[in-house]
Formats: sequence, C-alpha cells, structure tokens
Amino acid sequence: MSATCDYQAKDYKSDLKPIWCPGCGDFSVVQGIYRALAAIGRPPHEIAFVSGIGCSSRIPGYTTAYGFNSVHGRSLPIAQGIKLANPDLLVLAAGGDGDGFSIGGGHIAHLIRRNMDITYIVMDNQIYGLTKGQLSPTSQKGRVTCTSRYGSMEEPVNPLLYVLAYGAGFVAQASPTDLVGMAATIEEAIRYPGFAFVNVQSPCVTYGEEAQQIKGLKAISESLQSLGHNPADRLAAMDLAQQYGQKMHLGVFYRNPEPPPTYGDLVKERQTLLSKDALPKERILDLFIKK
Amino acid sequence: MAIQGIDFANLSLKDALDLAILVEDEAQERYEEFATQMDQHQTPHAAQFFRYMVKNEAKHGQELQARRVQRFGDAPRSVTRAMIFDIEAPDYDAARAFMSPRKAMEAALASEVKAHAFFVSALPALKDSEVRALFEELRDEEVEHQEMVQLELAKLPPDSGLSDEDFVDEPAAQ
Ligand SMILES: Cc1ncc(C[n+]2csc(CCOP(=O)(O)OP(=O)(O)O)c2C)c(N)n1
Ligand code: SF4
Ligand SMILES: [Mg+2]
Repeated sequence: MSATCDYQAKDYKSDLKPIWCPGCGDFSVVQGIYRALAAIGRPPHEIAFVSGIGCSSRIPGYTTAYGFNSVHGRSLPIAQGIKLANPDLLVLAAGGDGDGFSIGGGHIAHLIRRNMDITYIVMDNQIYGLTKGQLSPTSQKGRVTCTSRYGSMEEPVNPLLYVLAYGAGFVAQASPTDLVGMAATIEEAIRYPGFAFVNVQSPCVTYGEEAQQIKGLKAISESLQSLGHNPADRLAAMDLAQQYGQKMHLGVFYRNPEPPPTYGDLVKERQTLLSKDALPKERILDLFIKK
Repeated sequence: MAIQGIDFANLSLKDALDLAILVEDEAQERYEEFATQMDQHQTPHAAQFFRYMVKNEAKHGQELQARRVQRFGDAPRSVTRAMIFDIEAPDYDAARAFMSPRKAMEAALASEVKAHAFFVSALPALKDSEVRALFEELRDEEVEHQEMVQLELAKLPPDSGLSDEDFVDEPAAQ
C-alpha cells in the first residue's frame, strides 16, 4: 500500500460534467465521496471505482479514480475480481437500488460471506431513475408508477436489514440532508477492514416521491449517535434497521468490533502456505512431466 | 447548512476571515456547478443568472482575501472547506432542469437568507470584538445581497406558468 498524501476534495473531481438532472441527490453523494477520499488521502490512481448501470452508476466517471461503468447489476463481481487481482487498490463499488437489490441482489450475499475489503455505496432513490420511473425493489407498497398504475402490491426490500442479516461487518446509512455526516460515514466505511455497506437515501427529483425529497427526508431523519445507539450491537442495529421506510436513521448501524480476516488476508495466507513447497517459476512445466 | 469543528468562542480574526472566504468560495463553486447543469439541460437564462452570481461571489471572496492578506499575509490557514457545508451556497436540490430565471433568482435569494441566518446565529458565541464586528458586517452584507437579487427579480416579466412537471418525458424502454 502506498503512503497517503495531502489530497483535497477537488483532486478527485474529474472534468466530465454530470448529466444528472439538476437537483438530483447524486450530486451530493459524489461530493461526499470526494471529501471522504480526500480524508483518506490515497492517490486517485490507486482507487478503482466500479458501478453497474443506472443514473447513480454514472458516478465513477465524475471522479479521477479508475472507473468502470459496467453492466446492470454486475458491479460487485467485477469489483471482487479487481480486488483479487490487485489487493492493494482501494476498491469502491456503487450503484442504484435497482442495480444492487433487483438484478444484482444475488451478489451481495456472496461478497458479504467472503468479506472482501470493498466499500459498496447504494444510492437508494426507491425508483428506477435512468429508465424513467418504474418500481424498484425499495419502492414503498402502494407506490404508483408507470409500471404499477394501481399501486405496487409488493413489500419493499429493506437494504439495511438485508446486509445485516447476511453478516456484513460494516453497515451505515447517509443522506444529502447531511453532507458532512455523509462524508464522515463513507470515510469510516472505507477505513473498515472488510466489506462495508453504505445506503445513501439520495432523492430522485424527477421521478421520486414528494416524501422522499430532501424536505421529506429531513422530517424523518434521526442520527443514530444522538439515539445513543451502540454500533457494536448487531441485534440493536437490526432492530433499528426495521424502521427503514418510516424513519431515516443516519450514521453507523453496525461496525464489527472484531473484524474477521478478509478474503484477501485468507488468500495471502493460503498462498504463503502453498508456496512453501512450490517449484520455482522457471520449473513450473515439471508439474506436467511424468516422472 | 452545516458547520463542523469550529469553536466560535475562540475564533481568531484570521480564522474568521478565512472562514468567510471559504463560504464565498463554496457559493461561487456551487453557482458555477449550477450554471454548467443549466447548460447541460438547455436552460440558458438560468445559466446566465447563475454566472452573474458566480461573479458576485468571486468579487466578495477577492475583497475578503485582500483584507486577509493585508492583515495576516500568507500565514497558514487552519480552517478548511471540510468544516463547512452549504452556508451561502444554494442547496443542491435547489436546481431544476428548465428552471425559469425567476426560480433561479429565488434559489439565490433563499441562499442569501440562509447565509444571513448563519451569521446571526454565530454572533452570540463570538468573544473577540474584531471577529464580532466582521460577522456583523457580513450579516449586513447578506441583507444587501438579498436586496440586489430582489432588484433583479423585480425586472423580470411574469413567469410562463409552466412547471418542471410539464417537461417530464413519458417512460421509454432502455
Ligand atoms: C441487463 C439489463 N437489464 C435492464 C436494463 C435496463 N435498466 C437500466 S438502468 C435500470 C434500473 C435503474 O435503477 P437503479 O439501479 O435504481 O438506478 P437509478 O437510475 O435509480 O440511479 C434498468 C432496469 C439494463 N440496462 N440492462
Ligand atoms: S432521473 Fe432521478 S436519479 Fe436520474 S438523474 Fe434525474 S433525478 Fe437523478
Ligand atoms: Mg434507483
């Protein structure tokens, strides 16, 4: 890992002009990421930022990190491949609620059980923004959209409870209603040694519901710290996470006080073990020669 | 609007000036961003107004910077941008595609009101008399800025009555 340097938020901002709708919550999220990265201080070329497809998935392009705006729902397998191939990189993954909990929903469980050192930021706007306002897995029951003319009949996925139940070591929530808090939360997530998940309630001003705009979110927001929540208590975190959709708790729900080894640590350990009796590289073909 | 890690009771004049400069920098950058967003979304009149605000904020920032240099030279800064958020900068969600010049000016007006409230709320905690005088001056300037935006607003013809909703496309497959 390289030494950290004195970077400023603007050093992580690329020249690409965002094409998000003016007012979109994702503008604040990218600012939060710039600030968090500046606080961490890794040079942009040591950061890999992977996303899927969606409005939110455009985010890597607005940073100076190496970016990969990949395939809908597939940010996590790609991020894992990158981290395995080059463990020294700081790997971020990001995308929307649809990308992460619909088409890509199956990947989270496996990333969590592997505990790879990747930070995953979901910009949860409870809608498919890019495709112009269809139901997403986190849309509230009863939500009327162009694909649910008479109201959604499905219960929403609870992203917080979902990742907590699978055993994620770091779970937090942030929102553009508090950018300073969002930057601090993302920074903490990146510093956590293992898989870290941050759900960001990021309003879609074009297709989102009134209640999910900044004003509505402010009205239901509550800081976990001010509630006296102990982030080492997983069951208390799960209890609070159940209020997703009614309350917007901000801050860290759960941080494993004794982080287990990451997949990368285990791979390194295995490599060391197996390389003890291994042949030198130049004699590798001997393996295939019958004695 | 948020502030983090600033001890107003012990704020020095140098830090107060630096803080005021950062507040102007943030506002200038945000207006620049808004102007670019308006360019991206074919909203030239709002873009033009936001660029006018960029110039204003830059001018205020330069005036403060000149005072800072005159009094404290290039002594290092101890306050940083990470300590402030949205003091005089319009909130990110204040921008909208196809916003009318009136809506753009209203967003700027709301920011000047917000900045005024910031200086008013900080005043009771300030102990240093020079810092207090500076904050009173900045507070009063925010009222002048509000008047300036109100003057621009008064020059406008009435709005067309169209809202953002009138521009939302029908869903399409992608
Ligand atoms: C394999 C595949 N299926 C479907 C799509 C269409 N599609 C593009 S983005 C998207 C959903 C976007 O919603 P979300 O992930 O929540 O991101 P947002 O735009 O709201 O930020 C869908 C269904 C696609 N591009 N590729
Ligand atoms: S459609 Fe919604 S999510 Fe997409 S850029 Fe616009 S406001 Fe943001
Ligand atoms: Mg979405």
